[in-house]
Amino acid sequence: MAQLKIVFTGTVGAGKTQAVEALSEIPVLKTDVQATDEVVDLKDSTTIAMDYGEMAISDGETLAVYGTPGQKRFAYMWDILSRNALGIVILVNNSRKDPIEDLCVYVNNFKQHIENTTAVFGVTHLDKAKNPAEEMNKYYTFFEQQGYHYPVFPVDARKRNDVNVLVESLLAMLEVG
Amino acid sequence: MLLKKSGTQFNVDVIKSKLSEAIDRCDVMDAAAAVTIDGHLVAKIEARDCPVNRIASMGSSMMSLGDTMTAELKMGVCRNLIVENERGFLVLMHIRDDLILVTISHDKSSLGMLVSSSKICAESIRKAL
Repeated sequence: MAQLKIVFTGTVGAGKTQAVEALSEIPVLKTDVQATDEVVDLKDSTTIAMDYGEMAISDGETLAVYGTPGQKRFAYMWDILSRNALGIVILVNNSRKDPIEDLCVYVNNFKQHIENTTAVFGVTHLDKAKNPAEEMNKYYTFFEQQGYHYPVFPVDARKRNDVNVLVESLLAMLEVG
Repeated sequence: MLLKKSGTQFNVDVIKSKLSEAIDRCDVMDAAAAVTIDGHLVAKIEARDCPVNRIASMGSSMMSLGDTMTAELKMGVCRNLIVENERGFLVLMHIRDDLILVTISHDKSSLGMLVSSSKICAESIRKAL
């Protein structure tokens, strides 16, 4: 039987590992190592292969939750991990210089997969913004302009309830088709 | 030349000379590269056309998976990873905590020599740094 899986992706420091940890009901398998480049200014370690966790969903089934590395040099892992995934969750770190540009990078890289399945978007690090609601409007407007009909939510990747909203939304999108 | 990556510094010339020595000493070693644990190429020597640039990040992912699997199985420290292919071998091993050695051979009967030479190379880089 094929494994039911979803993939969290997005920029370095967007909260992918935290999101997988927030959701997982098993100890998360992580492949994080000490960063040797500018990432150390953001955090001590970085994911270089994948994060893996599991959560129970309805009907007694288990959903596998994968997190990708964020850096583009690990894009081969994006392809490997997204194979046969039900859908993609893209996290965008709003505190970065150009989060909309970041978002476009991931939309373009996962374009084929998003078209074949679906995607939801989570905007993180909004606590650093002066006006989070105004920041979110940037994304709503961008999605409207681009004709993206995907849900986008403000999330704190450390909070299970927030991250769960993304998963429930993704599963609901799949049910609706 | 020193390669500095935000707090981590590598003497590229020393590493390159050690990689070069390894390739000179081991006829079956077609390429050798030192990469950081987070996937940046530090130095490489290619005895024959053997593009290793993209292997840097892949090598670090594989080594990390090897380390993670070894820890999961409580089997101590992952010493090396060997990828046996239709046309040769790929060997990965830690030089030290922040550096990985990747060596490649297209000789199908070379595994013992490749692993042995790679270990000597990793040790010589470790001592030289």
